[in-house]
Order: sequence, then structure tokens, then C-alpha cells
Amino acid sequence: MANTKRYWSGLDELQETEAFKNIQEQEFPEAKSVDEFLSDERLESTHTGRRDFLKFMGFSLTAATLAACETPVIKSIPYTNKPEDVTPGVANFYASTYYDGHDFVNVLVKTREGRPIFIKSNTKTGVGRINARVNASVMSLYDSSRLQGPQMGGADANWDAIDQLIKTGLQQPGRKVLLTNTILSPSLNRAIDALKESAGVEHVQYDAVDYGAFHAASLADFGVSSFPSYSFDKANAVVSIGADFLGTFGDTIVYNDRWSSNRRPESGKMSRLHMFETTMSLTGSNADYRTMVKPSEQGKIATALLKAITGQGVAANLSEAAAAAVANAAKDLKKAGANGLVLAGSNDINTQRIVNAINVALGSVGTSVIHSDSGLFQGDFKAFKALVKDMNAGEVSTLIVSDCNPAYDAVNAEAFIAGLANVKTSVSTSLVSDETASLCAAMAPNHHWLESWGDLLLDQERIDLVQPTIAPLFNSRATGESILTWAGIPTDWYTYMRQTHAANYESSQMYTNSDWNKAVHNGFIATNRANGEFNAYAGGDLTAAWTELNGRKGGAFELALYQKTTMGAGQHAANPILQETPDPITKVTWDNYVCMSHADVDAMGLNGFIGQEAPASVVKVTVGGSSIELPVFPTPGQTPGTIGIALGYGRGANGENIGKAAFQSAENGSFQMDASGKMTPVGANVFPWAVGGGNHVEYAQYDITVEATGGTYPLACTQIQNTFMGRESIVKETDFTSYFAERDIKKGLASWNKRITLGVHEDVNGDGNIDALDSKPTDAFDLWHEHAVEEVGHRWGMTIDLTTCTGCSGCVTACHIENNVPVVGKDEVRRHRDMHWMRIDRFFASDYSLKKGEEEGTGVISSYRRMEDPALNPQTVHMPMMCQHCNHAPCETVCPVAATTHSNEGLNQMTYNRCIGTRYCANNCPYKVRRFNWFNYPGYKKFANFNPAQDSLMRMVLNPDVTVRSRGVMEKCSMCVQRIQSGKLDAKKDGTPVQDGSIVTACAEACPTNAISFGDLNDKKSGVSAISENNRAYHALEEIGVKPNIFYMTKVRNVEPTQA
Amino acid sequence: MRKATYMVAYTGIRATRNLLTACLLFSAGIATAGIWEEGDVEAGQALFNANCASCHKVTAEVLAAPGLAGIVDRWGASDEMLVKWIQNPQAAAEEGDGYIKSIVSRYVPTYGWMTAQAGSADDIKNIMAYVQTPPDVAPVTDAGSQCPTVDEMALPAEEGGSGIWFLILLVLFLIIALSAAGVNRSLTNAMNKDAGEDMLPELPYGNRIQNWAWDNRVVVSLIVIFFASYGAVLGYQGLMRIGVVEGYKPNQPIQFIHSVHVCENEVDCKYCHTSAYESKHAGIPSTNVCMNCHKAVKKGRRTGETEIAKIYEAIGFDATTATYVDGDGKSGYALPQDSFDGEPIRWNKVHNLPDHVYFSHQQHVVVGGLQCQNCHGDVETYTVGRVAKVDDINQLVDKYPGLIELSKPTLTMGWCIECHNKAEIDLASSGYYEEIHRRLKDNLRGNEELRKYLEDDKITVKELGGWECAKCHY
Repeated sequence: MANTKRYWSGLDELQETEAFKNIQEQEFPEAKSVDEFLSDERLESTHTGRRDFLKFMGFSLTAATLAACETPVIKSIPYTNKPEDVTPGVANFYASTYYDGHDFVNVLVKTREGRPIFIKSNTKTGVGRINARVNASVMSLYDSSRLQGPQMGGADANWDAIDQLIKTGLQQPGRKVLLTNTILSPSLNRAIDALKESAGVEHVQYDAVDYGAFHAASLADFGVSSFPSYSFDKANAVVSIGADFLGTFGDTIVYNDRWSSNRRPESGKMSRLHMFETTMSLTGSNADYRTMVKPSEQGKIATALLKAITGQGVAANLSEAAAAAVANAAKDLKKAGANGLVLAGSNDINTQRIVNAINVALGSVGTSVIHSDSGLFQGDFKAFKALVKDMNAGEVSTLIVSDCNPAYDAVNAEAFIAGLANVKTSVSTSLVSDETASLCAAMAPNHHWLESWGDLLLDQERIDLVQPTIAPLFNSRATGESILTWAGIPTDWYTYMRQTHAANYESSQMYTNSDWNKAVHNGFIATNRANGEFNAYAGGDLTAAWTELNGRKGGAFELALYQKTTMGAGQHAANPILQETPDPITKVTWDNYVCMSHADVDAMGLNGFIGQEAPASVVKVTVGGSSIELPVFPTPGQTPGTIGIALGYGRGANGENIGKAAFQSAENGSFQMDASGKMTPVGANVFPWAVGGGNHVEYAQYDITVEATGGTYPLACTQIQNTFMGRESIVKETDFTSYFAERDIKKGLASWNKRITLGVHEDVNGDGNIDALDSKPTDAFDLWHEHAVEEVGHRWGMTIDLTTCTGCSGCVTACHIENNVPVVGKDEVRRHRDMHWMRIDRFFASDYSLKKGEEEGTGVISSYRRMEDPALNPQTVHMPMMCQHCNHAPCETVCPVAATTHSNEGLNQMTYNRCIGTRYCANNCPYKVRRFNWFNYPGYKKFANFNPAQDSLMRMVLNPDVTVRSRGVMEKCSMCVQRIQSGKLDAKKDGTPVQDGSIVTACAEACPTNAISFGDLNDKKSGVSAISENNRAYHALEEIGVKPNIFYMTKVRNVEPTQA
Repeated sequence: MRKATYMVAYTGIRATRNLLTACLLFSAGIATAGIWEEGDVEAGQALFNANCASCHKVTAEVLAAPGLAGIVDRWGASDEMLVKWIQNPQAAAEEGDGYIKSIVSRYVPTYGWMTAQAGSADDIKNIMAYVQTPPDVAPVTDAGSQCPTVDEMALPAEEGGSGIWFLILLVLFLIIALSAAGVNRSLTNAMNKDAGEDMLPELPYGNRIQNWAWDNRVVVSLIVIFFASYGAVLGYQGLMRIGVVEGYKPNQPIQFIHSVHVCENEVDCKYCHTSAYESKHAGIPSTNVCMNCHKAVKKGRRTGETEIAKIYEAIGFDATTATYVDGDGKSGYALPQDSFDGEPIRWNKVHNLPDHVYFSHQQHVVVGGLQCQNCHGDVETYTVGRVAKVDDINQLVDKYPGLIELSKPTLTMGWCIECHNKAEIDLASSGYYEEIHRRLKDNLRGNEELRKYLEDDKITVKELGGWECAKCHY
């Protein structure tokens, strides 16, 4: 009978345990009786009587009432002299250029009332677009740990004293050295030349991440010392051996632009990317063919490729899978010929020379690989090593350190620090008292790049300009001006810079004020020079090279040091937004960790699942004599037998004041202290584990040991699911051949993007029967009255191309800054309370499927269970996910107070002031994009160290056009409604319809590959409306019929159909 | 890219043309007639009021610059120089004309350089036509007497006295009633005594009132119900006033009198509150804008020199030499930009909207074409700024035709959306709305919507989404 069924409240009840019986008998478990409470002796010693209590209550009530009565008086303070081009409430944009030794890009800086608040790509006059690191770098301007002025011996000083100190130092006997990162500024180079001449100073360039072998190989093979320029737009087949060119390698922003331009299936052709690497990188996750290799094998891949293409060299000793992958890559390269491109990330001259030889053999040198005048990465590690040796020998009397931080990121940092103690006069121009600056005798802080003038010469054809967008916040001085002062030149930096251009690069007519203003407006000056011709290939015998590469042997574990796409080499450690942006592959925030293959994790008995309450196992990694304990993150795609650890963490290990977000915060708003009372940095520094024995630094170790310690450590991971478990209505993908065969088929009919239909109880197909064949597409069903948005007014929509989306997370940071999204810190992220309005879902492919389960006789549930596990070397999909602005939004119908409603422009609106925080909407959202404010992030102490709104200086970065939300309200993507409103107003004012492209959301603006488009779907001429009609377009979770305004484009991989 | 934010500040009408056309038209104009003839008086008046009236009067009266009466006889240079002088006074002065030199030395030290005007030669011709024969120059009287401020206006007789009378009467009646009750009791007792019946029992007053109330329960309940309802109504009205700021008029650091500027001296609203046309904020004028006039006007009609001296202090202006002072206390600078940039004036904000409200002046003034008075009332009768009362605004309909009458208190959300429900949109007014209209007309679904909108023969702001949350809150 039906009512014999019993339900248990839990396993305890089923098993009728003793404890359960006890609880069952008491209605209020553990309640204290009144007698018990009153008999408590401690009660006697309290003095608050009933009357006192009532008095307090009465007073509080009256005080609260009175306080509420008074209308607050708000001040309104106009300018005394209003600058002509500033109107309160109207944003100004200034063209500038970002360069920090790692990233180089033309940008537009948005300022409001004179405060820079947003950095976006300069698509009109700039080259390339932007990435997460540059985008978020605006935060560093408002870092309250920046030096307020010059310092000497730990105390505030004035500039005269500093100048006197340096000038005296420069007259000392011994080596006088200016140590900088790669200088691209022609004016700064001119000033440095003057300093060399006047004071006999030597200039040594040092890069945090060394690319010296590229220069050396170019010099050996082509007679020019340059970093090659890779033209991915001209390459039909790309083979990358460990070069993460979409994430962190080389001139990455430009590479993104070029690579994606050749990845548009609509054009009828796509480039193909083969990747050989150790740790899954951003580029690897976007590769068509990815092969796992150990660091010691990377050189062998290069020699095998050389052998396959030219027949030169020796057959490398490779595994069967690797050999097959090399053969496959070589086939594509040969087919592409001059349009092939091989590059390697290894900073090893032998590998680079082999790669040069391959490119020469392909004929791609001069088309897709150019060795000419690029000035990037001139760091000379050999000279740096010599400098450190001399410092330790006491032969260096004066050291000026600018824009580099060797005490943190040099492989020989220990020796550098020891040597620095022997240098009599040392000065740093760092903006903060970082690892190096804090050891120098004096600090002469530079302006932030948003505060200073500058010029940059990447190649000979254009000079990119840096212009100040705000007056200096502190008593800092441009490094250029400091150097001029020390060289005894009385000219100010700005005049000096303009003189440089007039004298060296421009015809005199270009030097008029109006032309100069035009150049500043555009952000660059075209020079009258041309890039130099590169020399013919000198070639030479490479036998020694391939012999060395093939002789490399690895131990039980090998180590690959990589950079995270979000954090780079540690220059942004104090940037809370970047710390909170999940790594595109692992989705871990606020830490570095050991990436290890699932196979090794299982073999070592470590935790294979990391979740909110499932911490990671800690292992002890030993390299040479030193060891570090780090948590292990099981990373799909990590080569078995290897581990990967990210560089750029463990900044401020000695408690240097580099910014509050660089340290681990404690619950009470202070910092977590280690045993010795120092603030605990985020992650651990592994720069010392790079190999710096030769002339160049290599970022791999071939023999290390990894031991389990038995300890655990919580990691904050935003996505714990690895796969989408066969739910193909989330992500649709196909291979290029299948796409090409059906490229002209009507939308909804192609085999790789079939429209989803639902069965109906009516004879749709007219066969006289009502059966399973009768079905209708989902748009035929309306559960509710439809919102009239199609064809009426505007209908804002977005398209996201999964083919070109690389998962770089630039959109995440752009959204974060534009919309004042709170930073919540590691502990809250671990609890899945991250607030990102836009996240990127990363799905790995599983090598299991329902079909396979059926064949093997695995039950359906077990099959699904196995589909949760990613393959050892999986294909990857990155899927940006934000509010889909459904026209049949499930969230809207469940809100009891109508705080989330639909606009007639297709937007799902969120009204914070109505929201009472029931969170029904979040529960009812199929895409899980709604975020709840669990705390008062702008005020609660737990977030004091990293929430920008809690820092009196950093809150300047908040966007005044977006409300800062308070506790207890729901929030989510608004499609940048503030930009829509202002764009519509501009159109109304001009009396024209809204022009396509005049309104762009922050994410679309930031996308380096142009995968995101935004516009009016009702405007039939708009870009988005055309893309949404494309047969690759689909809605995520189409079967639930919520009719989103966001379209995804089927991912097309350029792989052979059998492998799809 | 630097966005050109400096729209010409106070071109009320769109008569500005570029210099090139100006020159062309100018040379053509000279060929036929002089600058003093054949101008259009009406167009000239409009131009004059928009561009010149804030400093010049057509009479001999001096405002912030010399009055222009008799200029046609006074002008001692060529017509061409007049145009140049207006378009760019400094450039004109450099040409070395003797008359120009004389007026520079006579006026510039006192009034400063005139701001260059972007008008064409034709515009100037029209202005001169108007200046020579102003059709309706009011007789020079003391304008102040015609521009009273609301604070000076006689208050209407208070009708609020009735409440007090009611209270006095109530107390009187209570006393009479109680006395009557006492007398009644004494009389009853006396009668009972005479009749030999029992005296009334000696009860406390409380009990007696209770007994009385019970005996007269119908009347008492009616009275209680009346007072309870009265209290409820008062309470409700009180609660409804929470957050209503009508009439808010904070004290200001400078006793600025709007009526003197707007009514007596006819300064246009947007001369000072320029950014209402460019930005979401109407903005308080920066101090250098004050100095455009107050460089010459050093003494106020009502407040004397004290209030104007506060402006000088803020911007660093030496009234005796009529020059600006730099950071080292050295005077002699002609431009406010060279001054030391002292403490800015800290005004108290009058119109405060909550932080989550994004209101744009530009949207309402430029696109919607609203008059300032529709929200801010008759500012020309104000002293310092205040939040206008909606009833006062409604009374201005005759004075400012086109004003939308509303009923909810100003600066409340009810007031905003009431207006959004009433205000109509002219679809033909802008290419933007034309496109929206076309989309509605040109397809079936849109047509249905359009019919819905046009049921009452008008399209209101609400119908185009003016009641949707994210139009103002984001």
C-alpha cells in the first residue's frame, strides 16, 4: 500500500542510533531550563538590572530616532577654475600606451572628473586590443602602499637630498650601474646615454622573465639581436613547443589579435594549432592538437620536427604518441609551407636555433616570422650575473635600480641581495617599497604610468606615446627627469622628450604644436624611418644543438615553471581584482599551487577533488637543496611525471609594504602572520628554481622530488565541475570539415547545431498519428505572456563566439572594474560566494560517454559518474557566462517584490532598492549567474585588505555611474545598462538612431580576440543581428525555452573529423 | 581620444557657424550694405539675448560691460573692425586701429577682455540692427522693485488660527461641562436630601467618568471613533511626508540672490548652469564663471560688498587693482587661471537624490525640452536655492506655457513617474525616435504595440519604457 512508505530524516534515523533517540525525545535539544539559567552563579556578579536595561533601551531608541530625523547636509563643491575640457559627469578619454616590461599595448584611459577609472583598448589608432592584466592595472594607481615621496635610510627625504646622494655616489670610484628592465623609450635611452657620458654609468638591462636566448639565436642565425615578431594572421599551421603565446609569452596582446583573425570559420579557412607542452596553458587549452611532453622532451620535439621537415639531424627518442603528434604537425607545416609557423617557449639557445632552422626550411621567415627591429626583451642575464658578481666583490659603488625587482625575481636573488649590501650608494625608482627598493639606501619613486609622459619605440615605424591622465598623486618624479637631473641636464622631462622626437625621428614640420597635439590625441607618431631588413639566414652546423637536446634526461619528476594568465610574473601581486580572477585553466584564485596530473595524484594518494570543504593535499617539492610546501591541484592535461608551479607569487615574503592584497588576510581584517610574526604572502616564490647557470635563464628543472606531507590546505576554486557531462545543449562544438560541409545550411538544421524540439500532443507532421515524431521547436512554446521586445524599440543582445574565445579572462576583469563588483577574498570564494558578474566556465572533455557506457554495459548513473572525470589530456572549452537576459526569465516570476523585471529593451533589470534578499531568483536561474551580497563588502572588516571600496584611495577607481551595492541584495550582469543609457542619450541628442558599435559593453570592449559582440538585435543592419542569424548561433540550454538575448556561436575546432 | 567636451558654452540658439562661412558672408554683406543697415531686428534680439545680454544692455546702463546705447554714433572704426572686434577682441586689438586702441585702454582695465563670440557677420548685422532700434526698451526704473523674492513677498493671511480656537473652545466646553456636572450632582444630592432618598455614592472621579461614559456610550463611542480616525489620518499624512524635502532651503556660504541675477539682470539659467546641457549634473558654476561679471560688478545691490568679496577670496582676486593674485600674493594677472586657486566655495547641495538614482539633466533639458521651471519653480523669485513645492510650480502654468502640472511632492519618485506618465514624446522630434517609430510601424508585432500606445492618441515617456526600473536605477 502506498502509505506503508516511510521516509527517514537521515541515516541516523534509519539506523536508530542512540544519539538520534535522545534527540528525538527532546523537542528542544540542549535547551537550558529557566532554573538552570537563574542558578548560574555568574549571574550574581552582573550589575545590569532590569531598570538599567530599560534605560539603555530607551536611550538607544531615542538616539536612533533623533539621529534619523536630521537631514544630512551634503556639500557641493565646484571648481574654482574649471578646466576647459572637464565637465562634471562627463567622461573624457585619453590615448596612452601601457608598457611594464611584459605587456605592451595601446590603450584609451577613461577619466571622470580627472580620475582615471577604466582602461580599454584603443581600437581606432592602436595595435591589438587589451588583456586582463593591463585592464586591471588601473588599480595600481590608487594603491595606498605607494611611496608618498622620496625616502632615504627608511625616513622621508627631499629630492635635493636624494640628488645630492646620487651625484656624490656617481663621483665615487668603481663601477656605477643603472639596472633597468628593457627600455623601449627613445627619450629615456637618450637620457641614459647622457648619464653614461657625464658620469661613466653603465646600463644593464634585466628582465624578470628572461628571453635572452631568442636574441642570441637571432643574432647567431640572422645577425640581428631581436625578439622575433610572429605573425599568426599569416600562419595556416602553427606549432608551439611550450610557448603560451595567447596568455603570457612575448607580445601576447598582439598575438591574440593576429591569431584570432585567422580563426574565423565563416572565412572558409582556419589556422590549425599544434601544441606541445607540460602544463596546460591558455594556448594549450585552445590548441587543436595538444600533446603532453615533459620539459626535458621539448627540445627533442624540436629536433624531431626538424628531422621530419628537412631530414637533418637525428631521430629523436620519443614516445609513440609524441612521435605521431610530431608527424602530424610536420604534415600540416609542410602543407602550409611559408605560411607555417614554429615557435618554442623554452629560453634555450639550442632549441631556438633549431626552431629558426625549421622556419627557414619552411620559408616562413619573412612572412610569419620576422627577425628585425623589435626591441622587446633586451634583458641581458649574462651582464646581470657579472654585475652581481662585482657587487659581491665590492667593485660596484653606485647602483640605480629602475623598473625591475631582482631581489624578488632573479634566479640568483640571494647573491644579488648579498651584493647590494656592499654597494655604497644604491637607489631605486620603484613606486612601492618592494623587495629590491626596501634594501636600497634611497628610494626615488617614479610617477605611475598614468601620471607621466613617455614614449615607446617597439619597432622603427611608430613611436607610441604615454600621456598623463591625472596629476601626480604623490611627491614622485618621472624616472626620466631623475636621470636627467643626475646627468646634470636642466631640461624638464616633457621638453626633453619632445626634443628627442624632433631631433631623431621626425621631419621638423611634425614638430609643430598642432601636429604634436594630434599625435598625443592618437597615441602615436608615425616616424619617418622604416624597419630594418633582416639579414639572410647564416645557418651553421646544428649538430651540437640537436645532440645536446636529444641527450637530455629527466628524473622521476620534472618541474615546469609557468606564468598565470591573470597574474603574469608577479608585477600585479597587490592587485585584488587580478588575485580574485580565476586562473583560466584551474579556476583557482588567490594562490599558486602544484599542478599535477590526475594519474600522479592518484598514485601518490593525494586528494583528487578540491571543493569548499575538500582541501588540497600539501606536498613538499625539493629542487636541489631547497624545498617548498605547496598544495596540489589535480590539473587535467598536466604531463604525468611532471609538475607545474606558477611564478609571480610569494611577493613580500619579508613583509615589504608592496600592497595589502599581496598578503593573506585574516578574518578580523588584519593579516595572517607566520611563526616569526611576518605577514604571510599569497603563494610561494619559485623564481629561485629557474635555472640560471648559463647565459640565459631557463624555467624548468629536469629532476626534482615530490613527497606527500599529509597536510592539507584549502584552495579557493570558482568551478569544481570539470566537465559538462554530455549536456550538449550547453556547449556545441564541431570540427572544421563538418562545419565547412554544412556551412550554408539554414540555421537550426546543421548536424552540429540542430534546433532542439519538444514533443507535442498534436499531429504536427500530418501523418495522421500523434506520436513521438510530432514535435515543435522551443520558441513555439510560451509559458507566460511574451515580452514584446522583438521588432519593438531596442532589443539589446550579445553574441559570444566560442571558436575565438580563448578564456583569457579580460572580460572578467573589465566587468569587475566597470561595474564596481566587490572583491570578496579567498575565504568567500572558497565558499562559492564569488561575486563575478561574468565568469568563464571551463569545461574539459571526458573520454567517457553514455554511448561508451552502453557498449561497456555500465549503468547510466555510473556512466554519468565517469563522465564527470576529465580525460588525462582533454580538449577544453571556455564559455563566458553571464546573465542571459532571458525574455522568459525564470527569475522574474519568482521575485515576491518585483525587484527583478524585464525592460521593453530586452534587459533583465535588477532593482537593488526593492530587493529584500529572498534569493528565490538565484535558485530559479538555470545559468546560476545571480550573485548575492552576503556581507556589506564596502564596510565589513573581513574585506578591509582587498575590497577597493574600503580603501580611501583605491575607492577612487569606483565607477560613479554604477551603484555600490549593500548587504542583502542580489546582483548580476546588467549588460552595462549605464553605457546603454548614455549611448541612447548621445543618439537622441544627435538626433540619429543609435549607431551600431556606439554602445559597447565592458566585456566586449576588453575582448582581445573580438569574440564578444554587443548591439541592438532589432537593428537589422547591426553586427549582432547578423551574427545571431548565423547558423552557428545557438542559445545555451535552449530546451528550457527561456529565450535569452545572448547567443553563443558553435565552437569549431580545426581537427580531423575522426578525432572530433 | 580626447572627447570634445567643450561645447560652446552658452549658445542657446544654434546660430553659430564656422569662421569660414562667416568670412564669406561678411564680404558679401559689405558689398551691398554696411553693418548698420538691413539687419533683422527680431533675429538680432534673439541673438542678443542669448549671447550678449548677460554683460551688455541696449541702454546706456552698465551691467558687466558698457551699455550699447548710441553705439552707432560712437563706433569710430570700420565695420570690418567691428566684426573682428566681436569675433576676437584680442586679435582685433593687435591690428593697431586707433579707435580700438582707445576702447581697449578705456574699458579693458575695468571690465576685462570680452569673450570672443562665434557669431557670423550676418549675425552681427542682425544684432546691430536690434541694438540701434531696440523695439521695446523698458524705461529705466529701479528693476529691483519689480523683482521681489519670495522671502520678501507678503505672506498670505494664515488660516491656521482655527486650530487654536478649537482647542480653547474645547477646554472651555470641558470646564463648562464638568462644572455643569458638578452643579447637577449638587442639585441632585440636594433634591435627594430633600426627598429623603440616598445621596449619590462618593465615588472617585475615574469611576464617575466611567459610569457617565457607560451611560452615554453611543455618544462616547462616536467621539472616540472620530478622534481615532482623525489621529490615523494625521499619522498617515505624517508618514507620507517622510523623505519629502519640499521647501528645503539650506543656508549657503554666500548669500546668493537668484532674483537679482535672473530677474533684475536677466542672466539666463544656463549661463551659470551650463552643464545641464552637457551632463547629467546641472552643476554649480565654477568661481571663474562668477568672475566674468563680478570682475566689474564689485558691489551688490542688496548685500553690498561682503558677499562678492567671498568670491574674490575664493579665486584670489584683488578688487583694487582688478587683477588676479598668484600663490605668492603677487597681483597683476589678467586671467583667473593664473590665480592661486584658493579654497573652493563649499555650497550646500539643495537637490539631493539618493545615490541609486541616475538622473540626467541633459536627457530632460536637451532631449525632453523641459523648462527649468518645471522642476525648480520660479527661480527668479528665489534668494538662495530651494526645493520648489509642487503646488507653487503648478501655479506657474500661465507664466510658463507648456509646464506639466503634477500632484506628488517634488523630488519624490511618485513625482518623477507621474511626469513620465504625462509627458508626451514627439516621435518626429529626433532621428532617434523616428527610427523607433519606423520599427513599430513596419512590422506586425510592432504595429500591435503601436496601436496599444496610441489608444489615447499620444505616446508618453512611460509607454517607451519610462517606468522601467533600470532607466533610472543601476
